[in-house]
Amino acid sequence: MDLNYIFGILTLAGINLMSVLGLSLLTGFTGMFSFGHAGFMAIVGYTSAMMTVKFGLPFIPALLIGGLIAALVSSIIGKLTLNLKGDYFCIATLGFGEAIRLILDNVQYFGGARGWPGIPHHTQLLNVVIINIVAIIVLANIVRSKHGRNMIAVREEELASQIVGINVFKYKLISLMISAAYAGIAGGLMAHYMTFLQPKMFSLVKSTELTIIVIFGGLGSISGSVLGALVLTSLPEILRTFSEWRLVIYGLSVVIIMITRPSGLMGGYEFTPSSMKKLFARMKNKNKGLPNQMEGGKTV
Amino acid sequence: MSQFLQQLINGLSIGSVYALMAVGYSLVYSIMNFSNFAHGGVIMLGAYFGYYYLTAAGLPFPAAFIGAALTTCLLAVIIERGAYKPLRERKAPFLYFIISAMGTSIFLENMVIATIGPTFRTYPEILSRTPIQIGSVSVGRLDLTMFIISAICLALLVFFIDHTKMGKAIQATAYNIKASALMGINTDLVIIVVFALGGFFAGIAGVLFGMKYTVYPQIGIITNKSFIAAVFGGLGSLPGAVIGSILLGIIETITSGYFSSQYRDLIAFVLLIAVLVFRPSGLMGKVTEDKA
Amino acid sequence: MNILELKNLTKTFGGLTAVGNVDFEVPKDGISGLIGPNGAGKTTIFNLITGVYKVTDGRIIFKGQDITNMEPYKIAGSGITRTFQNIRLFKKLTVYENVLTACHANANYSLLESVVRTIKCRKQEKELKEKADNLLEIMGLYDRKDLIANNLPYGLQRRLEIARALALNPELLLLDEPAAGMNPDETVQLMTLIAEIRPKFNLSVLIIDHHMDLIMGICEKIMVLNFGCKLAEGTPQEIQNNPKVVEAYLGVEG
Repeated sequence: MDLNYIFGILTLAGINLMSVLGLSLLTGFTGMFSFGHAGFMAIVGYTSAMMTVKFGLPFIPALLIGGLIAALVSSIIGKLTLNLKGDYFCIATLGFGEAIRLILDNVQYFGGARGWPGIPHHTQLLNVVIINIVAIIVLANIVRSKHGRNMIAVREEELASQIVGINVFKYKLISLMISAAYAGIAGGLMAHYMTFLQPKMFSLVKSTELTIIVIFGGLGSISGSVLGALVLTSLPEILRTFSEWRLVIYGLSVVIIMITRPSGLMGGYEFTPSSMKKLFARMKNKNKGLPNQMEGGKTV
Repeated sequence: MSQFLQQLINGLSIGSVYALMAVGYSLVYSIMNFSNFAHGGVIMLGAYFGYYYLTAAGLPFPAAFIGAALTTCLLAVIIERGAYKPLRERKAPFLYFIISAMGTSIFLENMVIATIGPTFRTYPEILSRTPIQIGSVSVGRLDLTMFIISAICLALLVFFIDHTKMGKAIQATAYNIKASALMGINTDLVIIVVFALGGFFAGIAGVLFGMKYTVYPQIGIITNKSFIAAVFGGLGSLPGAVIGSILLGIIETITSGYFSSQYRDLIAFVLLIAVLVFRPSGLMGKVTEDKA
Repeated sequence: MNILELKNLTKTFGGLTAVGNVDFEVPKDGISGLIGPNGAGKTTIFNLITGVYKVTDGRIIFKGQDITNMEPYKIAGSGITRTFQNIRLFKKLTVYENVLTACHANANYSLLESVVRTIKCRKQEKELKEKADNLLEIMGLYDRKDLIANNLPYGLQRRLEIARALALNPELLLLDEPAAGMNPDETVQLMTLIAEIRPKFNLSVLIIDHHMDLIMGICEKIMVLNFGCKLAEGTPQEIQNNPKVVEAYLGVEG
C-alpha cells in the first residue's frame, strides 16, 4: 500500500475530525442535535477559497477568518432558534443546511451547481494534524472547566441547570458558535484539499454523516470522536470498490448502533491519564482477587 | 388572472399530494413525538414499486397502484418494528429515533442506488396528456386525478379517525400515550396501525409523484418538503398538515411561476425557518408549557 | 424583616386559576412552611418565585427587589435556590459532579481563560473543588462522591439535591416536599438536617410538605393554601387550632 494513499486517508479523516470535534461539543456535551453543520462547512469552504483565490490571503488567516464568519452566522441562527424545543431546533438546522446548499447552487459567482475548480492545494497532512491537535486541546480544556460542566448540565437537565444558576441560552449559543467555527475550518481545509468545491458536497447526507460519527464514537467523549472519525472515514476509503454500498452500510449500521449500543464506541468514557490509571488499578485489583471498588465513573 | 388561477390549480394538485405525505408525518408525530425522516424513503419506494408493478409485472394500473400502496404499508410497519420499536422499549430519548430514522432513510435510498441504479425512470403514460377545460383554465388530467385521489384518501382518513373505534384509540393515544395504555388501549397496535396508514398513503403519494415527475432514488429528499408542510401546519395536527401542504403547494407553484423555478425548493426552506422563528407550533399546533 | 414578599400573586392557566391573589411574607432567618391539599398551588408558587412560570398578576419582592418574571438563572444567582418534588438531579452524573457543577458561580474565569488555562483559572478550579468537597462532607455525602446520582438511595438523593442547592450560597432555600416518600425515622433525620444547616449557611427556608410532624416541628410560620388561595396563616399552634384549616385539610395525616 502506497504511503501517499495512507496520508490521503488520514488527511481526509483529519478534516472530518475537525467538524466532528465541533459537533461533539454541541451534541455530545451540550445535547443538541444538528443536521445542518455541513452548511457551516460550505460557508467557510467558499469564503476561505474566495479569500485565498480572489484576495490572495495566506491560508491560515483565511481559515481563521472563515471560522469567525461561521461563528457569526451561527450566532444569528442561534438567537433565532435556540429557544425552540429540541426537535424544532433540529429541524431548523436541517432547513438551514439545505438552504445554504440551495443558495450556493444558484450563486454563479461561486460556480453554482457545476462547482468551482482551481482552488490552491494548501491542505497537507501536517497542517491538518497540527490544527486538530490544537482543536482537541482547546476542546478538552473547555470541557474540563466550569464552562464545560455547565454545558453538560444543560444536556442532562435543562430546568435543573437554570435553577442552579446556569444561563442555558448563553451556553447553548457558545456551544453552537464554537461548533460552527470548527466545522467552518474543516470546510476550509476541505476546499483547499479537494481544490474543488461543489454545493452538493455539503448536503444533508454530509451533515448526517457527521452526527453519525459523533454518536458512533460515543456522546460526551472526545477520544470517541477521534476514534470514530478515523474509523468511519478510513473504512469506506479502504473499501472503495464497494463505494456504492458505503452509504447503505452507513445507514444500516446507524440503525443497528441506535438499537444495540447507542452509547457508542467509548460509551462516554475518555482516554485521559487519570482514567487510564483507574483502569489499570482496577485490573490489578481484579488479578489480586480484591473486591472491586464501588462502581463509579461516567456512563452515558 | 386566469394565469393566476392556473397556478392556483397546479399548486392545489401538488399540495394535495404533499398532504398525503404530510399526514403520514403528522400521525407518527402525534403519537410518538418524533419526526419520522424515513417516511421520504418509503414514499420513494412507493414510486418504484408502482413503476415495477406496472412495467415489469404488467399489472393494470389500479392493481399496480393499490399494490404499491400495500407494499409500502407493509414496509412502514417493518421499519417501525425494526428501527423504532427497540428504541421505544428502552425508552430512548426522541433524538435517537431521529437518528435511526435518518439511518433508515440513507439505507433505503442507497440500497436502491446500489442495486437498481440511479437512473431516472418514467412512468408509462396512463392518462392522456390533453388537458380538460374548465372555464378559462385548463387542468391537466393527471393533476385532476391527483387531486381527486388525494381528496378521497384524506376524506376516508378523517372518517376513520373520527368514527371508528381504532380511530378514537389513535386520538386517545395521540393525546396521552401512557394514560391510553392504562385505559386498556393496545398502544402497540395503535402504533402499528398509524405506521400502516402512513405507509399506505406514502405509497399512493409516491406513485402519483412518480407519475407527475419521474422516479429516482432521491425522491425522498424532495418529500422532506411535505415534512416542512407538516411543521408549517403544526406537527401533530392532521388538518394542519393538510392546510400546510396545500398552502405550500400553492406558494411553491406561484414562486416558480412568477419568479424562477430555481427558487422553488429554496422557498420551502425559507418558509420553514420563518415558521420556526415566528410561530414554532405552526398554524394549528398546540403550545405547551413545561411542568416543573 | 422579610426576605421574600408575595404581593397579590396570581397565576392562571387558560381558565384555571392555579394561584389567586396570594399575599405572604417569608421572614428572614426563619423556617416557614407552605401547606395545603394536593393541587392547591404550592409548587406553582415555587415555580413563580423561581421564574419557571410567568406571573399572571402580582409581584414577588426578594430582599427589597422586584424579581417578578426574572429569568430563572438570574433568580438563582440573586440568592434563591430550590429542590424539586420529583427530584431533578443530574441523574447520570456522579454525586461529586452534581455539586461541583453547581459551584460554578463561585468562579468567574472566562471561556478564553479556560482554554489557555491561566493561573487564575487553575486557582479558581482548585477552590471550586475544595468547596464541593466541603459541602459533601457537611452533608454526609463525601464517602459516596463517586457514585452515580441515580444509584443513590432515595433519601440520599434528596440530601444531594439540597447540597447542590447550597452550592450557590443562597439566602433563601425553597424545599419542595423534601420528606416525600420518607419513613418517620428519615423524616426526623431530615428535620435535624434542616435545623442544622439553617444557621450554618445563614439561610431562610420555605418548605412545602405534607408531613405534618415535619412542618409543625420546625416551622415558625405557616401559610395554608387551598384552591390557589390563602386559607390561613400563622404559627403552628394557630394553624392547628384554626377551624377552617381543620375542616379543609388537617386531621387526615398525622
